[in-house]
Amino acid sequence: MGNSQDNKLSIQSQITSHQLPGTLEMTPLRSLQTAWWKSIQFKKIGIFILSLFLFTLSITLMKEGARSLTSLVQITLSISNPANCFGFGWFFAYLIMSGSPVAAASLAFFDAGLIDKMGTFAMITGSRFGASFIVLFIGFLYVLRGRDRATSLSMGLLSLIVTFSTYLPGFILGGIFLRFGWLNFLQPSFGPLLHSFIDAAITPLVEFIGAFLPNWMVFCLGLGLTMLSFNLFDKCLPREVLMDSQLGRMSRLVFRPSVMFLFGALVTIVSMSVSLSLSILVPFSTRGFVRRENVIPYIMGANITTFIDTLLAAVLVKNSSAFTIIFVGILSITVISILILFSGYRRYQSFILNFVTWITDNNFNLAIFMVIIFVLPLFLILI
Amino acid sequence: MRILIAIQVLSKIKNDLQVEKVIQFSAQFVLGAAESPTILANIESGEDSLPPHVDTILTEACVRAPILAFRPKIRKGDPVKNILKEIESGEYDLLIMRDLADQRMMRLFRTTRTAQIADQTLCPVIITKGKAGPIKRILMCDSGGSESPLLGKLTAQLVEILPGEQEVSVLHVMSQISAGPGVKGEQLRADADELIKTNAPEGDLLIRDIESLKKTGLNPVPVVRHGLVVDEILAEARVGDYDLVVIGAHRKKWQQFLLDNLARLIIDQIDRPVLIAK
Repeated sequence: MGNSQDNKLSIQSQITSHQLPGTLEMTPLRSLQTAWWKSIQFKKIGIFILSLFLFTLSITLMKEGARSLTSLVQITLSISNPANCFGFGWFFAYLIMSGSPVAAASLAFFDAGLIDKMGTFAMITGSRFGASFIVLFIGFLYVLRGRDRATSLSMGLLSLIVTFSTYLPGFILGGIFLRFGWLNFLQPSFGPLLHSFIDAAITPLVEFIGAFLPNWMVFCLGLGLTMLSFNLFDKCLPREVLMDSQLGRMSRLVFRPSVMFLFGALVTIVSMSVSLSLSILVPFSTRGFVRRENVIPYIMGANITTFIDTLLAAVLVKNSSAFTIIFVGILSITVISILILFSGYRRYQSFILNFVTWITDNNFNLAIFMVIIFVLPLFLILI
Repeated sequence: MRILIAIQVLSKIKNDLQVEKVIQFSAQFVLGAAESPTILANIESGEDSLPPHVDTILTEACVRAPILAFRPKIRKGDPVKNILKEIESGEYDLLIMRDLADQRMMRLFRTTRTAQIADQTLCPVIITKGKAGPIKRILMCDSGGSESPLLGKLTAQLVEILPGEQEVSVLHVMSQISAGPGVKGEQLRADADELIKTNAPEGDLLIRDIESLKKTGLNPVPVVRHGLVVDEILAEARVGDYDLVVIGAHRKKWQQFLLDNLARLIIDQIDRPVLIAK
């Protein structure tokens, strides 16, 4: 409706401007102003503010509740070394089908002293491994319903393998940064405005909830609210605008890897989730197809800025070291991605695509791959 | 059609086999063109005077080709600068040149001199590489971009001036994959016939190319391959044993800035003559 009205206005202004070139310059401007006001969706702004509030509340709740989980984490689950933490973060993300709440939980564990710096970094990296499984899992459901293997699984597998291949060397590089404390000076002091907001609006609510619920339940409530806040945030994204846009051409062109890398990073700063960023790719194409050449650097870029919510969680936890850990994560993945992009990108691209083709080639290969990615996190928890 | 044949002459070699090959390859275009070609011989040497044997090399090679008449131009120094300068001043319709040898360091940074010339010239360029013989089989690679009509037009023009009969195949590479799990992907595996039957955008593109080439008396064959664009073009060129591969190049500034330079990658890796349509 809005669009057809805009079109009418612009056509009208074109016709009239031909007739009276000097007098009608205000018409298109006025029509633009009307369209601008009409395009504001106050409901979405409300949902966005609510999701932000719930995210802040959830982090504070997890932080408060995490202290009671010492025996569960350290004794029952024996999460004591970085390998355990890695596997735990990975498997935990499978269970709740999301990585960001697990990353936020790892910061709460760190703040409560349940896991150390290296363990936190490992758990966050593991959570990203688990999170990238989601697209693959949805694809797998389509395969079970009789859809073609390659079509249903390619995007999920690409997302997963690109994540594995950049995060693993990134984890090693970040581990070195953390081990030698080279970036420890990056510990920002958090602003008094944020403190006063949390103290005034969030702390009384957390104390109220804490008075009624046991601490472990406070943590679980926090975790649930984190997931809810992400779901609400997803609803704020302007997908209809993308659907209606002329950006469908994007799927026909082969962009420079560096351009797609920046684009993926930019989209994920807004969407905060790699799986959401990938789903945003669909509206960019009328048929739901994207160029092979474009996807890999897009995922690489998205994999960096997906840390943005965890960075926000680190600020909300009010722990300077937590901020350093996330920053190290962002920096190390960025360094690895840039190295790949500007050195052996073509070979990397061929390797990833060939590997995906090998996996989807037959059920046996797919089964081997699925078993490995399920067993590996459990194995890491147990060692 | 005004043709510029650019050759690189080595100052110390009296009978350069590569020069001979380029001139022989170019002869098949020259015979059908109305005007006699210009041959630009470039010498990249530190000597002050031009080596006396260049004229002889050119004349002997042209007699053997045979190119009955030509305008010789001999330049010294950077071949990229000299070729581009000549093209600017000459209003040429086609440049034929051999792939210039590059040092390893330049290849590392992907700024090969051949690719530099191909990027900067305003006229179509044929780069002779690998086996450069009589042109019987032509592979026209259409991306469906803005340069598509130009590709067909240029291919038809070339076929008109080439001696004998040519087979032309029109290739479209579908490098797409599904952007999400729920997407129906039959077209992602379909061959040319299926894409044409189902009126898929790629099928329509092939039909358009074939119909425009048929008007010039050709009977082109549509080919569709699935995979990475550069890899599939190189593979089809090898499998089909084509004698000339015709590709397009981005010309607009925003395209050069945002889009990947696939033409440059193809020029770098292909093992046979390639024509970059402009």
